[in-house]
Amino acid sequence: MGMTPGILGRAALCLCLIVWALPGSALAERTEEQRAARWADLRHAIFGDRSLQDAGELVVIDVPARAEDAAIVPVAIRVADTLAPEIRGLYLVIDDNPSPLAAHFLLGPAADARELATRVRIDDYTYLHAVAETADGRLYATARFVKAAGGCSAPAGKDQELAQERLGKMKLTLDQRVKPDAPVKTKLLISHPNNSGLQMDQATRNYIPADFIQTLDVTYNGEAVFRLESDIAISEDPSFEFGFRPSDPAASGVIKAEVLDSSQRHFSQSWPVPAAPQM
Amino acid sequence: MQTRSRIHRQLAALNEGTSAIFRVCVRLFFSSIFRWRLGLAIAVVIAGPVAAAEIQALSVTEIAPGIFVHNGVQEEASPANEDAIANIGFIVGDETVAVVDPGGSFAEGHALRAAIRLHTEKPIRYVILTHVHPDHIFGAAAFRGDYPDFIGHVKLAGALAQRGDYYLRRLQGALDEGADGTEVVPPTVPVADRLALDLGNRHLVLRAHRPAHTDNDLTVFDEKTRTFWLSDLLFVDRIPVIDGSLVGWLKQLEELTAISADRAVPGHGPVSVPWPAAAEPERRYLAAVARDTRAAIKAGISIASAYRQVANSERGQWLLFDDNHPRNVTASYKELEWE
Repeated sequence: MGMTPGILGRAALCLCLIVWALPGSALAERTEEQRAARWADLRHAIFGDRSLQDAGELVVIDVPARAEDAAIVPVAIRVADTLAPEIRGLYLVIDDNPSPLAAHFLLGPAADARELATRVRIDDYTYLHAVAETADGRLYATARFVKAAGGCSAPAGKDQELAQERLGKMKLTLDQRVKPDAPVKTKLLISHPNNSGLQMDQATRNYIPADFIQTLDVTYNGEAVFRLESDIAISEDPSFEFGFRPSDPAASGVIKAEVLDSSQRHFSQSWPVPAAPQM
Repeated sequence: MQTRSRIHRQLAALNEGTSAIFRVCVRLFFSSIFRWRLGLAIAVVIAGPVAAAEIQALSVTEIAPGIFVHNGVQEEASPANEDAIANIGFIVGDETVAVVDPGGSFAEGHALRAAIRLHTEKPIRYVILTHVHPDHIFGAAAFRGDYPDFIGHVKLAGALAQRGDYYLRRLQGALDEGADGTEVVPPTVPVADRLALDLGNRHLVLRAHRPAHTDNDLTVFDEKTRTFWLSDLLFVDRIPVIDGSLVGWLKQLEELTAISADRAVPGHGPVSVPWPAAAEPERRYLAAVARDTRAAIKAGISIASAYRQVANSERGQWLLFDDNHPRNVTASYKELEWE
């Protein structure tokens, strides 16, 4: 489960995108058949001929049915306790976004797959699909419909100067005291414009260049929590909420986040994690 | 403090020179038969009877001698209101006119220009753009023929580059052909700190502010009547929109309310309000949002549901509350979670 399927998937998605963009974009409201056909194309592009099972209650997307701000739509993927230990990958697909594969999380041994949350841009009324992949290659899919529009080309940056000053800075919050038997709930903020490249400067007629986080690696004591392969669909100042399980909760450790963006900038930051109190 | 008046006198002289030649020609043509003004009237009728009939002048109120304000409706942009939803207007000096916000669409800008011409024939030398939001500045193209300085905050050009195209498409979506002729007009004169304008026996002081309502807010102070034109740094009745910095706005309000003025012009609300008393509801709303959002972040409440428990005491105090409050909380949450 490395980079190759990702790259192939993205190449196929590009083709898919072009075909979709030509006749469809001017149409007002898409029918359910069109939406189903769209997903059929996307799942084929990303997963090939592999079969997808209906996740039922095993995998759930938590997202507001109507987004208050299409440029900052909070999305959580939750996996049932029974299935979570088997999960090694999570895909988030925003069907009608210009770049539909919003995020691919590759979960490491320290990960807790039960909940992963981020914030995304949504460009049009669309289905969101989440697909969870087990270590032995089973795929569980679930969908939610979201009413939101304009998020991808929406203006970023309420305070441009602050955004420049803070670029690449990260903030990590450990949500609760480390306990021996529970995963450590964590919130990571990364200051980055994560520019979509879809905003045109009317004065110059040029598009403002895309500038977004390509990969994010989170490790605990050198062990992978997750790697994220992402795209322009992640909101400005990306936010991630996740849990991780220290292999030895009785020892203190270090959590580290490393970011590589599309401008080939590299940011990294580490934070100490206290040891769990002895039982 | 920069001053534009010297450059302007030269430019004005140049313009007056051109129009003086034109006037002499017209005068020569008509003088044998008609008086000058009658001649001009006939020239206008010959030149553009259709255009003249179509333009309806925007209604304006003279809130202080020489200061005219159109009262924007408290609605979102729609074909019926042509995006004339903000308070916009103009200030007349002995020599020239300054527009303070050209309006929300080409149509509104055009109607504002017609309103100016009902009151004065003086040249429109300045078009002041108080911030990036389309309801205030998308009428700018209607003043291109006046060759004014388009004056904006030093960060306005960058903000328009980022957002102009998006705003334009959104306006086209909301207004349909009502948006025809509307263009993004970048500022030609940036203000980094202060700029003094002389309209002829009338001095305006423009101030560029730190991020508050947006990151490119500009205010206008008319020294002659002590009128403080705050535009969207001041919302009255209509819920404030947080699109710059919540913390910054609260800080700016402390500085702004310390400035003494006889009246203020809010960006939305009545055309003239007492200052600083009219700022109190806005300060109270912003403070409540800051207090409750900080509490929500501390309690681990998600960004999606935070608005349900932020500043609920303010519901019922503001027009368009439900249209904007959740977005304000989202913006505030994003800002305050970095504290």
